Amino acid sequence: MPVTDKRAPGVRISDLSVVYRTGAGELPAVRGVDLELVPGTITGVVGESGSGKSTLALSMLNAVQPPGRIRSGSVDIDGLGDVVTLGGEDLRKTRGRHVGYVFQAAQNSLNPLKTIGKQLLDLGRSHEVDDLPGLVKEARSLLDRMGLDGARVLDSYQHELSGGMRQRVGIMLALVLNAHVVVLDEPTTALDMITQATILRIIREVHEERGLTTLVITHDLGVVAEIADRLAVMYGGRLVEQGPTREVLGAPRHPYTRGLLQAIPRLVGDIDEARALPGRPPTLGTIPPDGCVFRERCDVRMDVCETGEPPVLTIGPRIVACHTAAGEGEQKETVTTGPTRGEEQA
Amino acid sequence: MITGKGITKTFRQRGSMLGAREVPALRGVDFSMEKGGAVSFIGESGCGKTTLGRILAGLESYDSGEIAIDGVPMSSLSHRQRQSHFRRIQLIHQDPYSALNPARTIHQTLDAPLTLRAKQTGRSRSWIDERAEELLGLVGLDPGYVLSRYPHQLSGGMRQRVVIARALTVDPDMLVADEATSMIDVSLRLGILALLKDLRDRLGVSVLFITHDVATARYIGLDGELYVIYRGQVVERGPVETVIADPVHPYTQSLLSAIPVLHGLEVPGAERVTPTEAIDPNRKDTGCLFAPRCPFRTDRCEAETPVLGHDGGTVQEHACFHPRRRSVVATPAVQA
Repeated sequence: MPVTDKRAPGVRISDLSVVYRTGAGELPAVRGVDLELVPGTITGVVGESGSGKSTLALSMLNAVQPPGRIRSGSVDIDGLGDVVTLGGEDLRKTRGRHVGYVFQAAQNSLNPLKTIGKQLLDLGRSHEVDDLPGLVKEARSLLDRMGLDGARVLDSYQHELSGGMRQRVGIMLALVLNAHVVVLDEPTTALDMITQATILRIIREVHEERGLTTLVITHDLGVVAEIADRLAVMYGGRLVEQGPTREVLGAPRHPYTRGLLQAIPRLVGDIDEARALPGRPPTLGTIPPDGCVFRERCDVRMDVCETGEPPVLTIGPRIVACHTAAGEGEQKETVTTGPTRGEEQA
Repeated sequence: MITGKGITKTFRQRGSMLGAREVPALRGVDFSMEKGGAVSFIGESGCGKTTLGRILAGLESYDSGEIAIDGVPMSSLSHRQRQSHFRRIQLIHQDPYSALNPARTIHQTLDAPLTLRAKQTGRSRSWIDERAEELLGLVGLDPGYVLSRYPHQLSGGMRQRVVIARALTVDPDMLVADEATSMIDVSLRLGILALLKDLRDRLGVSVLFITHDVATARYIGLDGELYVIYRGQVVERGPVETVIADPVHPYTQSLLSAIPVLHGLEVPGAERVTPTEAIDPNRKDTGCLFAPRCPFRTDRCEAETPVLGHDGGTVQEHACFHPRRRSVVATPAVQA
């Protein structure tokens, strides 16, 4: 079990709202999100398309592109301050140096005209790294660590590498400047099963060895289940449930988490128990402005869900935003302590 | 019923300065599916599962072997006759976004093939509209809502249902669904799988399901067969539940071991198999194709080529010299 590492900074996302300007006015893609990344842990954010998870990830770098903008809230990183208030050169230097980002389809985010080594040097120069040979050495050892022939990979063009190899290059580029907060957006999408398992194992190992605080964004509950210490479930721009992964999966409290778990094709068990969630996930334009975002598809909906914003309740290490859990836990406002790491069994 | 025997296919890469490179996609694959049956192909990208699906749907040529539909060998027919056979096999592919014409309403999308169908069977104009509504109902869509809309106004799951409804306009015997759920939102995937199973039950249409997600194969029907394909060869084949619960080939075991475990709900299998990394594709193929990655290989695996069979008295067929059951699949955790 990883211990909290002194190198690993904590991250506190508070009351974050991100809106996109559309013909119908400014619509919220992320609404009032509170999420703490405990130093040295892996947090997984899971959500379907349109849940706002990628927008949340981009906010970690203050990199939401117009027509989107961060309307309110803060992303406070230890030793750095609130990245939402950063701009210009300060912000550019933060990216890569402090916060590493592995983009969705990192396989396709490499320059096809330059070798990996050249791209690495570009990265070094843009961050005014004096010791470029040292940077190359670090990159090579990172790639070697991930089971590749580092020297060969640096001499390769992206088309000479397989999907799994490119993904590891993406991870290397995110870590090589010694960032200790790492965001991975869909790190295994479009990879084969066996390659996915390899990449997930590598992410976990590198995370522990380097003492990172890691955020993994994915639509695949299995990916989060495999590597994350804590799990946050996003729906319609809101965090509806979060807590230690094993607890959330073992006993989900939010009807959406329950429904999602029931909707996953599984290798074992009664196939008749599985059922798709009715309805469809909301898009930016169809997220209801009032009441619970999930009520349309919910099997335990009550009258209050139509109009009342669900209370954000802290129940032990769990945070749930649902009317049905009301009375079970403490309201958000009274909570001062952050989420704690769950007990992990061997 | 559709059968394939000894199907081989090699792609030749052109344009390289060093001359053509040959990539074997299928190395002598046998296939058979009863009317109304279900078969799933699983394997990693590049294993040949899509190529085999396309060959069986008549969309791709093959180098040798024979395909027969209801006992009629396709090689004995003229191009035209072949076409009328293959029309009964419809392909549904991964991306419902690109499979539909964005400039046509769903009504227009269904109207064209149905008009042709009406002409072929001597039916009237009114039949076309009735049939369009009937088909949409069959795939779980509300015709009143869907007919007048364009594809971009529908969700991914609804679009895939429209694609399936369009495939049904020609009254097919078989649907070839190639990764048909991989671009659908997780919460809606099961709905598409349930629909395919329902179409088997209600229309007797058979389903060939091609996927990299082994778990989805169970939901097309537990009576189905699973083919595990590695580098153009079937390495294990048998009843879907047997192959998933009791795999004997180390490659199948590797695939099943790689599936993420839902910690808290499941306990990982005790003997998970981790293969070594993918090998150089230019390497010469002698012996078992999986041997270079196999943790259990012996000298025999390097020298001889295993053949698909029931060696060792297994329920399923496999191509391994050392078949052994290993518990690799996660089991449900005992709830406290």
